[in-house]
Amino acid sequence: MTLDLAQFHDTFFAESFEALDSMENALLKLSAGDADLELINTIFRVAHSIKGGAATFGFTDVAAFTHTLETLLDQLRAGKRRVDAKLVDTLLRSCDLMREMLGATQHKQPMDKARVSALHAEIELIMAMPGDSPAIAVPAPPAAAAVAPAAAPAQLPPGETRSGWRIHFVPGPKLLRHGNDPLRLLRELATLAPCEVRVDAKWIPPLTELDPEECRLSWHIEVNGPVRESAIKAVFDWVEGECDLKLEAFGAAPDATVMVPAQSMPEAQELAVTPRVVEEPPTLAPVAPTIDESLAPRNNAASTQAAAAAASATSLPSAAAGDGGSIRVSIEKIDELLNSVGELVITQSVLSQLAATLEGHDAEELRNALGQLERHMRNLQESVMRVRMLPISFVFNRFPRLVRDLGQRLGKKIELRLSGDTTELDKTVLEKIGDPLVHLVRNAIDHGIETPEVRLAAGKPAHGVIELSAYHKGGNVIVEVRDDGGGLKRDRILAKARERGLAGADEELSEDRVFNLIFAPGFSTADVVSDVSGRGVGMDVVKRNINELGGHVQIHSTTGKGSMVRIRLPLTLAILDGQLARVGSEVYVVPIVSIVETIQVRAEQVSSVASRAQVFRLRDDYLPIVRLYDLFGIEPQHTDLLDGLLMIVEADGKRVGLFVDELMSQQQVVIKSLETNFRPVVGLAGATMLGDGRVALILDVPGVISRFQSQETRRASAQEAA
Amino acid sequence: MKTEATAMAPAAGGTPVTGRVVLGACCTIHEAQQLRAQLLAQAELPGPYEIDGSAVQQIDTAGVQLVVAFALDCLERNISYAWKGRSPALDDAIRVLGVGALLESPG
Repeated sequence: MTLDLAQFHDTFFAESFEALDSMENALLKLSAGDADLELINTIFRVAHSIKGGAATFGFTDVAAFTHTLETLLDQLRAGKRRVDAKLVDTLLRSCDLMREMLGATQHKQPMDKARVSALHAEIELIMAMPGDSPAIAVPAPPAAAAVAPAAAPAQLPPGETRSGWRIHFVPGPKLLRHGNDPLRLLRELATLAPCEVRVDAKWIPPLTELDPEECRLSWHIEVNGPVRESAIKAVFDWVEGECDLKLEAFGAAPDATVMVPAQSMPEAQELAVTPRVVEEPPTLAPVAPTIDESLAPRNNAASTQAAAAAASATSLPSAAAGDGGSIRVSIEKIDELLNSVGELVITQSVLSQLAATLEGHDAEELRNALGQLERHMRNLQESVMRVRMLPISFVFNRFPRLVRDLGQRLGKKIELRLSGDTTELDKTVLEKIGDPLVHLVRNAIDHGIETPEVRLAAGKPAHGVIELSAYHKGGNVIVEVRDDGGGLKRDRILAKARERGLAGADEELSEDRVFNLIFAPGFSTADVVSDVSGRGVGMDVVKRNINELGGHVQIHSTTGKGSMVRIRLPLTLAILDGQLARVGSEVYVVPIVSIVETIQVRAEQVSSVASRAQVFRLRDDYLPIVRLYDLFGIEPQHTDLLDGLLMIVEADGKRVGLFVDELMSQQQVVIKSLETNFRPVVGLAGATMLGDGRVALILDVPGVISRFQSQETRRASAQEAA
Repeated sequence: MKTEATAMAPAAGGTPVTGRVVLGACCTIHEAQQLRAQLLAQAELPGPYEIDGSAVQQIDTAGVQLVVAFALDCLERNISYAWKGRSPALDDAIRVLGVGALLESPG
């Protein structure tokens, strides 16, 4: 039987893509002639790890390309070559190509071999040229290194007292199966400093019992040299969670001794087999010094077990106390969990309503218990929601490269500032916000930031600034894209809008409304249509995408000073803040984000248009009245507008009044997809179950408006035909 | 990898070998199950053994671990073995993994 490595391909690809993101970020931080060895090591390790993994899985093209890249990076590491802009550019293109190669391999698609060969040849050409001077920056002084270890070089300054590290490395039994090889890790470790390696073989069972795909060896390693902790930990990055790892500095002052939390290794307990006892033959004695430790425990099973148990008892809690590692879980599994929690919330709500009708001492106790259950359920629901949350850095990380490349192409000098990149958002929201943000940033680069000459002439610094920030506010996440460019040209937008009939010739519009015109489909004031922007396709899509997420976009701009686009997003798409409204015996949930206000209608506010359609006058606006009972064909309690309520809702810049019988409570509801459980229905975003067990339909306000407009058009046609 | 049972060559110390383990060019996790089966077949012979690692071109931790397990079994059973040869790739893996002392021929 041979091991089926294909089962680990997905993990390899996912980790490789993440590693390439780190590589790209490190490359973008490299500046010409002033390379940081820590950054170069990061870049090298990515290439090295991908090469190793690709070779293990038999992806020979990827392995061959990364091998050449690794050789070039090794020259940088060794200080044989200087970092310059052209080299960084080549490395960034290599990073892109590796992404494409991995993508093609993952999806079993052909790769353009000519492109691979061309870049391969370019790298070899660079390597063939003499490197003119060292690439490595002078190491930071010890004080600076102490406060910022991540940015410091791998080698400590000469005055440092630490002289090495003791490492205890216990691979988990599945480490080999997952395509990792301790041999490769130990080789990499040896590139940092001379290593003394002692193997511990006491957990190897007899050959008859040994699963050859499980690692039963462990190692005590002494790294003899002033190596940074981060450099050592980086070697073991790819086996995080699959091994037990302890680091201890030696040869240093007591305060320099650091215990690194062991990596979380759930499989550790699986190693708890009794070490076999070997009668050590007398002939082994001369082999002594290095073999003693590895064989001695095999002569004393009891003490070995006790020591192992003690080691396990001390290392596992420390893993829990430390950064803990992570596991990969498919989003489907999390959604299943969330779904089950949603069902539990509904059941708990049904129970609470039932208990409210009971009387007596027992009923009181039941209500208390249900109150506790409700609190626990809320905690559980919030915990599961948090599992789906990811930092917005997953989206922000693509922008340094985009700004660099596009700025260079357009001859603009741009500094990108990111803040709040640890702000967390639901994974689905995060996935959908990426493209709109790319569009906004591209627009800011192309239309916002001026060329250095124009900026200098306007008394601004030659470097423009684009700021991307994210923060929480009132249960929402706010993302802002700000630039210090020329700002929107109000008069030009208004003129264009009048030309296209979006605004009347004499109509005076507020600044906000003028700026909002740029979100109209096909709207563009750009003189030149480029491949970057200017076709007028995009801002409307940006707005639509954000609205589809239940979010809202606003734009502020000052001529000559810059613009700011502010996006408000819900934290999650799985739960909705809704207003319950009753129409006849049905209950509808209206997303609170869409509600402008709710009004009791007075007769003088209503008028009829074309002898049929009714409109409602709200201050200076006339809004169509949408009778929900009519739209969905149900029996209402009231048909007279004066007896019910009008909810003013807004979507895509359109406002309508929804006529309902009465408003009920506001509550958070767990959204159940109609598409999955039934079929898509225009005007409905989903369904949910209420505490009394009734199903309530969740309105999709843009869909309601569109359904209403279609219905009106059909009726008008029918009337004309009649 | 192939294994042979012979009674021709003497092991270290002059005892005639009854088995010969010839490690193949690739001794990695891909071949680990097969390598284990062949080592087990060899271990059924009374010994001593001769291990020929001169053809090894590619070996990983899984391959080295199997050889170590075989060597430890020999120690437990007080059976000697001798190395006929070790390729540079095998020697390098043994050195990096620090298992050299465990694979010293005991007999």
